[in-house]
Amino acid sequence: MIILEQNNRIIVELLEQKFANAKEGGKPESVNVTFADFDGVLYKVSNPDGVKTRIILSISLKFYAELQQHGADDLLRKVYGQNMRATPEPGFNVTLEYDLTALPDNTLELVQKASALKRNCFASVFEKYFEFQETGQEGHKRAVINYREDETMYIEAKADRVTVIFSTVFKDADDVIIGKVFLQEFREGRKASQTAPAVLYSLGEPPLELKDLPGARVGDNVGYITFVLFPRHTNKKTRDNTIDLIHSFRDYLHYHIKCSKVYLHTRMRAKTTDFLKVLNRARPEVKGEKKTFHGKTFQTQ
Amino acid sequence: MSATLQPYLEAVRHTLEAALCLEQFSSQVVERHNKPEVEVQTSKELLMTPVVVARNKQERVLIEPSVNSVRISIAIKQSDEIEKILCHKFTRFMCQRADNFFVLRRKPLPGYDISFLITASHTEAMFKHKLVDFLLHFMQEIDKEISEMKLSLNARARVSAEEFLKRFN
Repeated sequence: MIILEQNNRIIVELLEQKFANAKEGGKPESVNVTFADFDGVLYKVSNPDGVKTRIILSISLKFYAELQQHGADDLLRKVYGQNMRATPEPGFNVTLEYDLTALPDNTLELVQKASALKRNCFASVFEKYFEFQETGQEGHKRAVINYREDETMYIEAKADRVTVIFSTVFKDADDVIIGKVFLQEFREGRKASQTAPAVLYSLGEPPLELKDLPGARVGDNVGYITFVLFPRHTNKKTRDNTIDLIHSFRDYLHYHIKCSKVYLHTRMRAKTTDFLKVLNRARPEVKGEKKTFHGKTFQTQ
Repeated sequence: MSATLQPYLEAVRHTLEAALCLEQFSSQVVERHNKPEVEVQTSKELLMTPVVVARNKQERVLIEPSVNSVRISIAIKQSDEIEKILCHKFTRFMCQRADNFFVLRRKPLPGYDISFLITASHTEAMFKHKLVDFLLHFMQEIDKEISEMKLSLNARARVSAEEFLKRFN
């Protein structure tokens, strides 16, 4: 569990069950499930207009309008083809529709694609900028995606690299300090793997690239992490892998910060019990009632 | 064990042994009250001179004896921010369990990280030498635990960062 799963587990389990049921010729059941994912993403699986043989999966992202500017619709249409509805369900941004009576043989692939819906929404903006880098187009405006309320992602393409900058907010003051340890290790991480992108970080204020940007937040609990992706990460072969990783970076970082706090708390709890044991040694043992061999109470005078 | 730790602990041990000569003593100010004099501080003649045993600027122990109670406050070494938050979390953790710890004071004295209050009733119910052993054990272990926790935090950060970056190809 070091690396977070890229796809959504609930979608996988839900759709696999529904598809398997449909294939075996079972009676279709109605479904209505709403669930959440990282970055404030909401999913809803339901039957359109109560038709039990059809399933629709809708996703709502707060920042979808920003992704649309970078061609999210086109990319999703390319990936999902006819499964994508032309107009999404009201209140949602993208809707996929599956007809249980006309399933292809390979439903596994279908499920995999559906569960990566959030990742594919993100992918559009990365793909666009990786393309700019590959064709050597410079001077494009920096993409700004407010992927969470106070947190923003900036992407910029140069002829020889793509820089992705995350701004993240640490809610707790302790998280800032623990986060700093993690970010330091990310910066050093290049030593472990020659193929890794360069990682830079700054706490409190934005890096120099964003100095002129009015929207960049400044504060003690704000951190900026810069990934410098080289052509080896952005070429067509490795592109998908890079997108998989980088779009989940923020969740990965925070997940591990939380995990280490949990570990520390468990340790402290264990140590506290240990101290308590030592202290209890100081209390004289309460002697129980003494009995003779025949079971009579032995009284001490 | 480093060269300065042993004499430091020895000094604390002897001071504590001397300070833990307690007797029940009713309040001179309020009738039928028996309060730890070191806490209420109402009669000057019942308080003894407080002693500070210091290993260095950060690590020190303040021992305040009185006729029926002793207050021991410990300042723990905190060389960087991580150690500071670990120490703070740990002591807060213990203070929340002060009821189980009998001799632990709910709030540390200002300038110290954790305080203990031993009253005459405690010395009657428990072995004095074992109480002293506990305090010394605590002082030794807390340093060790904090540095181990810090190491494991760093190790975890390194592993997670490396794993993530290794995936890029």
